[in-house]
Parts: sequence; structure tokens; C-alpha cells
Amino acid sequence: MLPAHGDLWGASVTDPMIEVRGLWKVYGHRAERIVGSPEADLPRNELEARTGCVVAMREVDLDVAQGEVFVVMGLSGSGKSTLVRCLTRLIEPTAGTVRIGGVDVTKADDQQLLDVRRHKVSMVFQHFGLLPHRSLVDNVAFGLELQGADKAQRRELAASTLELVGLRGMGSYKPHQLSGGQQQRVGLARALATNPDILLFDEPFSALDPLIRREMQDEVIRLRTEVRKTMVFITHDLSEALRLGDRIAIMRDGRFVQVGTPAEVVLNPADDYVRNFVRDVPRSHVVPVDAIMDPLGDGPYGGDIAGDTKVRDVVGRVATTELPLRVIDPSGTPVGSIDRMGVLSVIANEDL
Amino acid sequence: MALATASGPSNATAPTFGVAGTRRWILPVAAFGLLAIVAIAVNPNVPSWMDIGLQKWVRDRYMWTVQNSNTSWIFTSVFNPLSDAINWMVESVQWILRTLRWPGVLALFAAIGWMTAGIRAAVSGGLAMAAIAVLDVWEPAMVTLSIMVTAVSIALVIGIPLGIWTSRSDRAERVLRGFLDTAQVMPAFVYLIPVTIFFGIKYPPAVIATVIYAVPPAVRLTSLGLRSVPTVMNEVGESFGCTSWQQLLKVQLPMARSTILLGLNQVIMMAFGIVVIASLLGADDLGNLVLKGLQKNDVGAAFVPGLGIVLLAVALDRISTGERSTPTRPPLIKLPTVDRRTGTLIALGTVVVAAAIAKLADVTAIPDALTVDISGTINDAVGWVQDNLRKGVPVIGGTQAINDFLVTDVLEPLRKFLVWLPWLLVVVVVAGIAYLSKGWRLAVGCSACLLLIGTMGDIPGGADGRTHLWDLSMDTLSQVLVAIVISVAIALPLGVWAGRSDRAQQVMRPFLDTAQVMPQFVYLIPVLFLFGVGRGAGVVASVIYAIPPCIRLTGLGLREVPYTPREAAISFGATERQELVKVQLPLAFRSIMLGINQTILMVLATVIIAALVGAGALGLVAYEGFTKPIQKIGQSAAAGLSIVFLAIVLDRITQAWGTSPDQQRRS
Repeated sequence: MLPAHGDLWGASVTDPMIEVRGLWKVYGHRAERIVGSPEADLPRNELEARTGCVVAMREVDLDVAQGEVFVVMGLSGSGKSTLVRCLTRLIEPTAGTVRIGGVDVTKADDQQLLDVRRHKVSMVFQHFGLLPHRSLVDNVAFGLELQGADKAQRRELAASTLELVGLRGMGSYKPHQLSGGQQQRVGLARALATNPDILLFDEPFSALDPLIRREMQDEVIRLRTEVRKTMVFITHDLSEALRLGDRIAIMRDGRFVQVGTPAEVVLNPADDYVRNFVRDVPRSHVVPVDAIMDPLGDGPYGGDIAGDTKVRDVVGRVATTELPLRVIDPSGTPVGSIDRMGVLSVIANEDL
Repeated sequence: MALATASGPSNATAPTFGVAGTRRWILPVAAFGLLAIVAIAVNPNVPSWMDIGLQKWVRDRYMWTVQNSNTSWIFTSVFNPLSDAINWMVESVQWILRTLRWPGVLALFAAIGWMTAGIRAAVSGGLAMAAIAVLDVWEPAMVTLSIMVTAVSIALVIGIPLGIWTSRSDRAERVLRGFLDTAQVMPAFVYLIPVTIFFGIKYPPAVIATVIYAVPPAVRLTSLGLRSVPTVMNEVGESFGCTSWQQLLKVQLPMARSTILLGLNQVIMMAFGIVVIASLLGADDLGNLVLKGLQKNDVGAAFVPGLGIVLLAVALDRISTGERSTPTRPPLIKLPTVDRRTGTLIALGTVVVAAAIAKLADVTAIPDALTVDISGTINDAVGWVQDNLRKGVPVIGGTQAINDFLVTDVLEPLRKFLVWLPWLLVVVVVAGIAYLSKGWRLAVGCSACLLLIGTMGDIPGGADGRTHLWDLSMDTLSQVLVAIVISVAIALPLGVWAGRSDRAQQVMRPFLDTAQVMPQFVYLIPVLFLFGVGRGAGVVASVIYAIPPCIRLTGLGLREVPYTPREAAISFGATERQELVKVQLPLAFRSIMLGINQTILMVLATVIIAALVGAGALGLVAYEGFTKPIQKIGQSAAAGLSIVFLAIVLDRITQAWGTSPDQQRRS
């Protein structure tokens, strides 16, 4: 147990959009007695044999900042889907608190809960979850309909949202007429239509072909940069997690084993489990230059480069100049330098 | 009803074969052996002290209702107002049908068919109704239809909310399930007895009996449809902030729509089967005309209204089947389609226009020039059949020969044997079979059912002044067993064939589709035609009625076996036969067993009907209660209940074959 990990991993976030403290989900008879008890640490089948209970998620602390993309990664059965469902109480957590935009969801009454679900949070589902009896435009308008928007207004809004995800003019189609990728675009449009503060993604792209998946990931990246939605993204695909996440939580047996930026997770895996996972990830793909830069020297420099550029993306630059590059932070202030040797050393240690 | 518990999920006591060694067999074998010896040793007949006086009790209740139906509060404030309300509903529907006149009704059928299933349903529905008009059985058909419409409306008003409730509460599901199971196993006739007692004759008891029969499929399919909505869809609704009411209206009901529509179709067809039978209660409808024909052994007179029943059944089935398929691609060419609202307006408009024209032209009855009377032709055909097909056909010898063989060489020996067996031995043997099929609980339940038959008492009449009800039960059992064996022997190979060959499927399908929607009554007509009157005819009628569901479910079961394991078997070098026997049949086992179970229920449902063509036994006794209630209602109830007990025993045992893991392993 890492009692302080909330501080260690979540403390950087001030004024979080989502704030989770001590969240548990235990299935079984009188599940609440398991929470925090010594039995909770028993191996899964022993616990089940002894108490009839199964712990799906234990002691999860989590802060997600406004505009952050937080990825929860884990294998099936690790509790990640449970976690995302507990955020809006699609699954009732056994213990702990969830605050969304300052509202304590876990203590909310029915009306407040509906309010959160209708206005603040939208979800994108693994197998799309489109309503087969509705046209695309009525699917996208579903959330608006529940909010009580009138028909003309919600259809107009839904049609323009469909356009946003590249399905212009297909509003009268039924879901079964679309490919998987198109269906998930509708799922995305439906989630966006209510203009929520937070988007939850439950393995949204795992049912799609690799090419389509990549396209959809680009869509999410576009959303992050253009509309700065707060997102919680569940996946079992490490490369997806590394590609999309501002921060990643690795989940196993219902708890977080590590939370950090992609670079932190790849460079400093918390334990053997995570190490095993990230072993094949090329370092240069996740490490930004400001993580390996040298202190700022006297120059001269061959040019400026943003600090969050990944190492592999500067290979071309350092190849064309003998001089080191000057690293600048987002405000344009020079903070360090990187040269050919620094880049090469990352690439050379790739297989460590 | 005690049996409902015996079918519960607990099969912990189910025996396993050959695994645990012989020790665990000593106790059961010894127990059953001992019981068998006791059974042989005691009175071979049901002792008279077991009679619980049910017959007298029922008769007394009936006499009481006859004498007090205008004075007791239970009648003046409950049953009579209910009867009046039902009468009012039936008569209102009849008024509407009369106001529309036959052109309007034709248009109505076509319009409904067009709205629910498209142009083909509209045409076939309209044509079937037109044929009814041409056959000159329009008036009785409208009576049948008005009872139907009333009963189905009531059944839906009761069934759909109950279905919604059971889909949301496991406890409600458990409680209702017992009732629904029992309601569906009981032959329809059984309801008619209590219903007659409380609601008199004509429309109200017919409607009530139909409602009782039609509610279970409505509840079941509503609940099934709602429960099979995928979890993720419920999560979608919830995650976007549906209240539970919105969840039901916007997510669950629309997604369950096709299952519920299928339920509607089943409710209508179930209701139809019963409405026709309910003619025994004296409504002047199609069924009553058939009955009169059958009673006079006048095939021609029974045939025409019988054909009317078939046509009405087809029309109702076609217009209530709903959309068969939806286009899977965006339409390339835009046909001039209309949206739902315009469509409804057009359809209603057509009906109104047709009715208005009929009124202006003062069309009341179908003009005589348009109708045909085919009963004479039919009777000529019957004469020809009797001269040519009953005897002297090469090889099979003719239907008379088949009939004689069935009666003298199969039914009679079996009946004699069953009657000869000490009655308790039958109970013990059935209990033993039940034990092997599922376990102790089923054995106890089945013995209880059979022992209850013993408590029904004997009935007056017969050779020595009284007939043992047990002997009649054995007579019925012998007929049922023979009918089951013949049905399964014919249906299983056909079902396997239909499951393996697309062509066979195509050929059989129209027959099966039509057969499925026919009320049992209708089958009696051709049987009477070919086999004359008697037990043989009864068995043949049951067989014809029971075969279609068995073929259908066997074929369906085989087709539903996933291709992967079959492909695996073929890749290991299985011949077609090996693949069938080792992979496909075992995997389709449950579905096939379900088919056999359905066959048995169908056979039992025909038992009383078969009495009309001379099968005698329990069916006849049960039936006589309707013709002479004052003298015979008691024994009729006893016979009816005995049929129910037999039905429950056979149903539960065969259901156990379909579900017990042990049996699956052995297959």
C-alpha cells in the first residue's frame, strides 16, 4: 500500500476537475466490511473463498486537471472499466469520494446526479452503444433530448456536431449502415453534443482496425488541442496510452501501480510489472528533449527547439548541424541545450 | 403448482453415472425397489378412501352459482359487472366491424398489414379476408374476430406492464414464472370449466379464457425483450442522465421492440387458438359451426367454417408479423417512401373511404353472386375418399388399415398393460424416471401429481356402474405416449433434414409456418375425413398438430450450432455423418429436447379436442362438462385436472432432459 501516493502523484494538480479519494469497489455480500480491512490484501481467490467478495478496485486516488488527458491503462480485469464507471456512479462505488467540478458525486442526490450526467460528463463506449432504432442525428441529439432541448434546436446542434466528426449529411442514416469507425465517430459526436466539461472514454477504439484506430486517436488529439476538454481515457493499449496521455496511470489488480507522464513511466517504471510493459517502447518516442537537455551554455546554437519535442523528432535537426540546439520552454525562455551526442545516447540506450 | 419449485436451479442432487462408483447407487436402487414391492403388494386399484370429494365440491359450487348468480354480492358486484363490461367491449367491436361493413374491414386488414409489414402482408391479409367473404362465413368470422380483438387488447393491457415489472425485478420474475409456466402447460379446456362457473356462457367466459392463455406470452416476451437489451445500452442511457422512466421509454422499449412485436404476434395466435375452442361455450362464431359439423359427422359442414378459421388465422398472422427485415444499406435509389405519419393517414383514409363507399352503395351482406358453397363438393370428396383411400390402397392398405393397426395392435395393448399395472407401481416407475432425469425433488413432485389423480375419485357410468378415473388416465396416457413416439419419429429426421439442407428448409417452411398458426380444431377436419371416428383419428390429429414445432426447433437447433466446431471436426477428417453425430447433434441437443418438450405439450393440448373425433378417455369426460354442466361438471373438472397433472409430469420430466448437465454429457 502506498498511502501517500495521492500526494506523490496527484499533488501537482491544483484545482482539479476530477478529484477522487480512496475509491473502492467490492462486489459481494456486505462488501463494505472489506474496505480497508486486512482481508482486502488477500489474493483474489483466497478472498473470494473466505468472504465471497471480490475487490474490483481498491484505494484509488486521482486528480485530473482542467484540460488534461488522463489515461488509465491496464489489462482486462484490472479494474479500469470499473473506475471510469464509478466516476458517474454507473457502478456504485463501495467507499470513497468522487468530486466532479466541485460537486461531490458520491453524495449527490438523484437530481444532482442526473445533472452531472446530463451537463458535465459524457461517455464514449467500447462497442459504440449507439441506439439502433434511432437515426444518427437522433443518436447524437440523445443527450440534448434528455436535457430538455426542443426538437429543432437539438437536431440543428446534432447535425453540426456530426459535421464536426466528418459525417456531414449522413444524419438520416441508421447506425447499422455505418462502418465501425464511422459508428464511433457518431459515439464521439454524441458525447460532444452536450458540450460537457469532461469526456470519459471506455476503450473506445479497441474494436477498430489499426488504421482507423490511429485516425480516431488523431481526432482525440485534435480535441485536446482545440477545445481543451478534460478527458479520462481507458485503454489496454500501451502505445495508445503513450500517444494520448498527458499522464498515465497503470492499473493492476484494482489499484494504481504507477501514475506519471509517459516519459516518467517509460524511463522510471515503478516495478517489474510496469518495466515489463514498457520494455519494448523506444525511449526516443516518449522522452522529450527537456528531460535530457544539458544546462544552457554560451552557444553558438544551431537553432531553437521546444522543450516538449520528443527526442526522435529532433534527429533530423541535429543531423543537419554540428552545433547544439537551444531548448526553450513554452514562454520562449531558453532553458537548456541539446546536442547530437545527447540525442544519440537516448537512441543507443533504447533497448535497456 | 408445487412442481414449479421442483424445476428450480438446484440440481445438486442430480445423479452422476459411473463417476462416483456404485456405492451411491445402493440407496436409490434399494429405495425404489422397496417402494415397487410395496406398490405391487397393496391394492392394485386406487382405493376409494383416497377420494377427496372434489367432484361433489365442484358440482355444489356450480349449483350454488346457478342459484345465486343474481343475488350474491360476489356476482352482483364483481363477476356480473365484469361480464357486462366484456360483453360491452365485444359488442362495441362488433358495432365497429358492422359500421365498416365488409369492404371497410378488408381495407382495414390491408391497411394494418401495409403499415406493419409492407405491401405483401397487405395483399395476403386482404385476400384471405376476401376469401372468407366468398365462402359466406363472414358473419361468424366477425364474431370470432370481435372476441379476439377484445381478448388480445385485455391481454396486452395486463401482460405488457407485468412484463416490464418482471424485467426489472428478479423476485417478481420468480413469482410470476411459476404461474406462467403452469398456465402454459394447462390445456386450454381446463380454464373453461372455472371460467364458465363464474362468467356464465357466450362472450365473457370465452374472452376470459382467452386472456388467461394469451397473457403469458405477452409477459414473457416483453420481459425477455427488455432483459436482452445489452448492458452497455443501459449504461449509455444512464450515463447521459436518463431517469428510470426515460430509460424505459427511450432506450429499453425501443430496443426490445422487435421481440415485443413477436410477442404480439404470438399473443394473437395463442388467443386465436383458444377463441375457436371457446365456441363450446356457445358463441355463434366459426368454431361453433365447426363443432356442429363435427358433432353431426358432416365433414362438408365442418370444412367451410374450418377453412374460414384457417384464412382468418393466416390473415391475422400476416398482418401482425411485423417488419421481417430492414434494408442494411443506405438506399441508392430513393423510392417514393412516405414517413410514418403520412403513411398512417393514407392507410386510415383508405379504410374510411372504403367504409363510406360501402355505406353509400348500401352494401350490407356479401352479394350471393360472389359467394360459393363448397360443402356439397367436400361431401362428394369425402365419399370418394371413403370409397378409395380408406381401403385397398397398395402397400399401406389405406387409412382404415392404418387406423385399425393403430388401435388394435398398438393403442389397445398399451392401454390394457397400463391399466393392468398396479397403480402405485406406475407412480413408482414414473418417480424413478424423474429421479434419473433430474433428482429427488422432481421425483417427489411427479409422484405427488400422479397421487393427486388418485384423489379425484371415480366417475359414474361404465360396465360395473363406475369407471376408475385412473384407468381413464392410463387410456389417455397410452394415446399420448403413442402420439409422442410417432410425432418424434417423424419430426426428428425431418428436422435434421431441414437443419442440414437449405432446399428441404425452403420446401418445408411454408407448411410449417401455416401449420403453426392453425388452431387444433382445424386438424380434426381432414383427420375425420380420412380416418373416420375413433382413437386412431385422435392420435393422428395430435401427431399432425405436434409435428411442426418439433421439426422447427430441431432444424433451428442444428442451424444455430456455430460453424467453428463443425469446421474443426471436418479438418480432423470427420465424414459428414460423423460431423453430424459427434458435433452438430450434441451441440443442438438442448434445442432438440425443447422441441420434444413442445411436442408433448402440443399432444396434451389436443387430448380433449381429440375426444370430439371419438378418442374418448379423459378428454371425453372433460368435454361432457360443457354439454351437460348440471349433471357432469364435477367429473369434468376431475378429468380436466387429471390431464393437467399428466401434463405437468410429462412436461417437467422432458424439460429436465433438456437442461440436466448430466444428460448433456451422456449425449
